[in-house]
Amino acid sequence: MPTALRSKSFIALALLPALLLFIVFVIVPVFWSAYYGLFEWKGFGATKFVGLGNYREILQDHIFWRALRNNLILVASAIVGQIPIALLLALVLLKNTFFTRIIRSAVFMPMVLSTVVVGLIWGYIYHPQFGLVNTVLEAVGLGSWTRPWLSDIHVNMLAITIPINWSNIGPYMVIFIAALQNISPEIDDAAKMDGAHKWKKLLHVTLPMIWSTVVVTLVLCISGSLKAFDHVMVMTHGGPAQSTELLATYMYNNTFRVYRYGYGSAVSTIIMIISALLIGINYILTRKKAD
Amino acid sequence: MELRTSRPTVKSPSNHFLGKGLNGLGKLLLLAYAAFTLYPLYWLFISAFKTNEDFFNHPYSLPLVWMKENIVRAWNLGHMGRAMMNSTLVTVSSVILTLVLGILAGYVLSRFQFRFKKVVVVLFLTGMLIPIHSTLVPLFLMMKKIGLLDTYGALILPYTAFELPIAIFLAIGYLASIPREIEEAAMIDGNGWWGVFGRIIFPLCTPIVATISILAFLRFWNDFSFALVFINSSALKTLPLSLALFSDGFGTDYSLTMGAMAIAVIPTIIIYLILQEQIMQGMVAGSIKG
Amino acid sequence: MKSIRKMSLLLLIMTFILAACGDSGSTNKAEEGTTTKKDEKVKLTVWHNFAGDDLRAKAVRGLIEKFQADNPNVELDAQAIPPDGYRQRLSTVAAGNELPDLFFVYAGSHSAELYKAGLLQPITEVVDQNPEWKGKFLPGAFDPFTFEPGQVYTAPIGMSATSILYYNTTLFDKYKVKVPTTWDEMMTAIKVFNENKITPIALGNKAPWVAQSTIIGALGDRVTGTEWFKNAAAQKGAKFTDPEFVKVLNYFKELSDKKAFQDGANSIDNTQAEQYFIQGNAAMMVSGAWTLTNLAASASEDQMKNIDVTVLPSIPGGKGEANTITGGAGGGLALSKRTEGAAKEAALKLIYAVSGPEAQKAIAESNSMVMYDTDIDKAKVTSLYYKAFNLVKKTTITPVYDAYLSAEAAEVVNNGLQEIMTGGSPESVAKKLQDAQARSVTP
Repeated sequence: MPTALRSKSFIALALLPALLLFIVFVIVPVFWSAYYGLFEWKGFGATKFVGLGNYREILQDHIFWRALRNNLILVASAIVGQIPIALLLALVLLKNTFFTRIIRSAVFMPMVLSTVVVGLIWGYIYHPQFGLVNTVLEAVGLGSWTRPWLSDIHVNMLAITIPINWSNIGPYMVIFIAALQNISPEIDDAAKMDGAHKWKKLLHVTLPMIWSTVVVTLVLCISGSLKAFDHVMVMTHGGPAQSTELLATYMYNNTFRVYRYGYGSAVSTIIMIISALLIGINYILTRKKAD
Repeated sequence: MELRTSRPTVKSPSNHFLGKGLNGLGKLLLLAYAAFTLYPLYWLFISAFKTNEDFFNHPYSLPLVWMKENIVRAWNLGHMGRAMMNSTLVTVSSVILTLVLGILAGYVLSRFQFRFKKVVVVLFLTGMLIPIHSTLVPLFLMMKKIGLLDTYGALILPYTAFELPIAIFLAIGYLASIPREIEEAAMIDGNGWWGVFGRIIFPLCTPIVATISILAFLRFWNDFSFALVFINSSALKTLPLSLALFSDGFGTDYSLTMGAMAIAVIPTIIIYLILQEQIMQGMVAGSIKG
Repeated sequence: MKSIRKMSLLLLIMTFILAACGDSGSTNKAEEGTTTKKDEKVKLTVWHNFAGDDLRAKAVRGLIEKFQADNPNVELDAQAIPPDGYRQRLSTVAAGNELPDLFFVYAGSHSAELYKAGLLQPITEVVDQNPEWKGKFLPGAFDPFTFEPGQVYTAPIGMSATSILYYNTTLFDKYKVKVPTTWDEMMTAIKVFNENKITPIALGNKAPWVAQSTIIGALGDRVTGTEWFKNAAAQKGAKFTDPEFVKVLNYFKELSDKKAFQDGANSIDNTQAEQYFIQGNAAMMVSGAWTLTNLAASASEDQMKNIDVTVLPSIPGGKGEANTITGGAGGGLALSKRTEGAAKEAALKLIYAVSGPEAQKAIAESNSMVMYDTDIDKAKVTSLYYKAFNLVKKTTITPVYDAYLSAEAAEVVNNGLQEIMTGGSPESVAKKLQDAQARSVTP
């Protein structure tokens, strides 16, 4: 009996501070902002209630749909690009030698750089006149492939996914290493003794053991890609002609550049709903696989 | 999702994927990739020492003249000494708060069954989906009401609140792979839940504590939006505001911007290197206690 | 028992952190009592975005510091906010009705929206008290800030001349090209330079306001005349779907189609385009006076001596004048509605201190244009700036589009120009612009 009681008080005391802080500083503002989404409001001055008018307008705006498509491109590229590469690197670099230490640090470094620097250097890599990519293409005789990578509206969204993946692999690798540290090596050895091929082992032994971490990284990938803002803001401002617009840049522009705070708030509510849907789907899919 | 095998004592971490270590080609590929990821850092540091003219004329080569003045001027003009103190204070407090609250909550959510547990989990999950810019105005109005504006708390509390979901989910994911037998044994030894958490679980969590710390540190250290809006007095301003000083929408003074960024990035590199060792040693540390 | 100890430890940590949080709350009180008793100091807060290390920012900060030194009874809290975040900061604070006493506002929709929200009060009295000062402002200087007849809401600190044609004399001599004064000559120049693998016009349109601010306003004025544009902006008797405006966009399309701009102009920022031009990769650049400030900081006198300035070429059959440059008043300090009493007096004094006659001269001598009739010391400025300063003095100033369009319509035309450069049709851009401006005029 006292144990149960103690559990209860532990649950309450351990959970409540986090929950309270979170509700006050995250959940309340979110509902507050969703409420603004029902108004025509510049962010200051008079407000006018428009009900679901903003939402209706958003759904009819083809730029919104383009932004959503661009975000989905980011989600897809993050899932196929960041997670497998990060996992592979984590597995390869798990041993703590001087060499792996250096490589691990290097892989993480893009993350410590401010997005302004990342944007600048990739701007140079993609530079239409003296960029690295075009120079290399010329040099290997593929001159016809050169193009202004960030302003050609047919390729720029794909060009943008590369720097984003490149900078985000580091943290996922770190998360995977932390998870892999927790697997006992004996299990590993057992698998080896069974003669399991390493890929098979990865699939049937290692992966299931860190599956909960994989799920967490997938959720982080999805939510991170749908919130993506900085890299695009620095590299293209969402342009040219809004061809690389993302949901977050679309929201930002409406909120702070054209003084449509209510509309911007409605967009951010929609971003949350879409993220929730995708994460729900992810949950269902990954649960099946885990069983 | 938990381990079905019991957890044997551990000697040392071994390589899980490539039994006998890397071969030459693998090493070469890794080195190439490392160069690819390290280059921007190198580029930042050489650019930080260039004149504007040099920066544009020779973007890839070493500086013609090493302009140490860039660093000094950026440091003085951006009041970076003060900004760095503020950033350190705000970031470290927020990281500690995030760790304590996040891992405790993650532990409760991964180990206990109680009413509304699902609701709480989903609530925290939604926290990861929020685009922060839309919360600026509500947060500003709220903090104005409770008199929190223009204090360190105006940054520490929202930073922590926004980072909690990630911390909690990383903790849940990690704790799922720690077998319950360990705690049961500890309970029998007469520890309460606080004792189990403090003596057994938290020490076992070193790798994830370090991971959460790195992610949170970077996030807080680099945040521009909250720092821009919730802080008013110059005395409380944090680093990202100093970095944005040298660009005015019509043009950017790259030598000063790069100088300031080079200064700001150094603490993050040091923190990463320290915490990386914690992640790697986590296993050993945990196994001694377990 | 143990659990209680642990718990209290946790609470202790929380209290400690919260205490650290609340620590510096006292500094905030400065904003509250702006009106004070006689013997107390007058408290005044001012926010501006002259934060950088360029000469102009330093000049303005110097003026503010001088005001502080001259007025020891004023306790001035002056904040330089990074320009990249300035609007966002001001908008958020405006939502909480927490604006400082004085704050920098941009000409155009930025100040207009703040006025419409009832957050500003006029500063007419300080202008009327100094008729000589008022009289030396160039024509139209107060137009963007006269929201109601007879009332002025700020005195412009600077001037934006946005469509100066910079050209590289060495390249024009080398390829024996005439500096274009007509559209045909411009087309010839573009052709010759392209044949010689020189970019005709450098453009850095990543932030999409650039092409709008530097090119389309000037082209537009030459084709349609100023009256038409002002009517279209007011949606009175003219529409952006009118054939003359479509013609303007077609001229822009022609520039783009004839490869006047370097490849990928939409992914390069303004600073990079300036450098591309100054290094001799491009023969011309259409840009604003800000380029003078930027080049003064980043280019050598050697590079600059080959550069000359003129106006954009005339357009055959156009209704507007040819010898014009788009531009207008830059921003200025605006006065919050809530400021009154002694603080208001001090605020008006500060406005005079940063935009009065001496201030205008100081700013003009920091290689930055002003909307004010002043002489400058040639020795204090760069040679290129001096050329441009005299060019602007001799020309008529016509409106920049985004100073008259609503924020939304400006965004539409900015994006629309990028669209035209990537194959979009002028007609559809004109239609979108018309719709956006109509929406904002008749809500």
